[in-house]
Amino acid sequence: MITVNHLCKDFHHVQVLKDISETIEKGEKVVIVGPSGSGKSTFLRCLNLLEAPTSGEILFEGINLTDRKCDLNRVRRKMGMVFQHFNLFPHLSVQQNITLAPVKLKLQTQQQADENALRLLERIGLADKAKSYPNQLSGGQQQRIAIVRSLAMNPDVMLFDEPTSALDPEMVGEVLELMKELAREGMTMVVVTHEMGFAREVGTRVLFMDEGQIKEQAPPDQFFSSPRHPRLQDFLSKVLTQ
Amino acid sequence: MFESIASGLYQTLVVDNRYVLILQGLKNTLIITFFSLLLGLAIGLVVAVVKVAPNSRAMRPLRWLSDLYVTVIRGTPVVVQLIIINGSILKASDNQILIAVVAFGVNSGAYVAEIIRGGILAVDRGQTEAGRSLGLTAGMTMSHIVLPQAFKTTLPSLGNEFIALLKETSVAGYVAIRDLTKAGDSIFSRTYNIASMYIVALIYLVLVIGLTALLGRLERRLHKNDHR
Repeated sequence: MITVNHLCKDFHHVQVLKDISETIEKGEKVVIVGPSGSGKSTFLRCLNLLEAPTSGEILFEGINLTDRKCDLNRVRRKMGMVFQHFNLFPHLSVQQNITLAPVKLKLQTQQQADENALRLLERIGLADKAKSYPNQLSGGQQQRIAIVRSLAMNPDVMLFDEPTSALDPEMVGEVLELMKELAREGMTMVVVTHEMGFAREVGTRVLFMDEGQIKEQAPPDQFFSSPRHPRLQDFLSKVLTQ
Repeated sequence: MFESIASGLYQTLVVDNRYVLILQGLKNTLIITFFSLLLGLAIGLVVAVVKVAPNSRAMRPLRWLSDLYVTVIRGTPVVVQLIIINGSILKASDNQILIAVVAFGVNSGAYVAEIIRGGILAVDRGQTEAGRSLGLTAGMTMSHIVLPQAFKTTLPSLGNEFIALLKETSVAGYVAIRDLTKAGDSIFSRTYNIASMYIVALIYLVLVIGLTALLGRLERRLHKNDHR
């Protein structure tokens, strides 16, 4: 579904991603872990070209996103993204947050979009918040709404950029629960996170990134029980004893 | 004391129906202010968006023009601009109101552009990223997500600019426009009684107080969803 060929990314002559090649298949739940500054968020943001690669190719469903003639806006409709800081639109109500893109892009009428939004909110138990504004809600509620805002576009893949890192501890669970639900329904997911429990439980494959490279990857069982790379062994010993 | 005030008012307003001059001046001032405000907002919006757009090859000439515009307009006095527009660019037009609207609108646009540009830059980058990641175009993201938020935060500064604009139109008399100030001044030059200028000052004051109240109400309405 997503193919990455020789991806490199520099920020001001600092190499953040060093020649990464990777393929993500439909239905996979790829979890990316690694120390901060390892390039994992940058890698994720390159997948929908929120960051423009310095060199290399990104292909999504056979379309080359790094081709200058590619209609990125059309491709991004099918690639949902969830951010660390939610990034809900504060001047719009919850319902408007969800309906804005489908309506403005003429994919749905306002009425269809409204019905769809209410159904999505119903599903996460927040239908009574449809007319509320983002800053009247808790972090956990905001992040769940951000997730269904992406779902309203019926994406083929969902990218999560540390979706629980900005949440109070007691709200992490509700967001992870919704993500697990998505995973069970077969959504293709790429998740950058520090939640090792989630990686172990939901991931079909875990990637370890360090110094701009994927240093190791394996199914979660093997990844956590018998890490081979010394950097990964060191990393796991630190994050798992917490 | 009371008598001198009464005779001053009589001289200024009643004799030769002079109050009509003041009303006509007020009307012209309001028309000039309103339309130059709209023109300034329109120009300011476009210039601000051009100045924050990514620096691509296609944008370079536009960006250069925008920088030139803001530099020249902010670097020269509005009276000078007014006289130049009257005496050269719109020389053929004998519509003095139009000349004033263009001059003050173009002038105000440079200030509005900088105010809105600041507002756009103050909107979190994550807002743009969220919009773009949903597949919205850069233009849609700007108009539906960034600008509404920028407008809200810049409203106090924009209000300041509008108040300044209203008062700046008082130099319109330089090119023979009969605005409020000019009306008061021409009555003064006939009556030699300063009462007319007090009346003019009072009218400006009332207008500014009214505008301030209006902006305050708009601000409260836009912020009613904030619980910060």
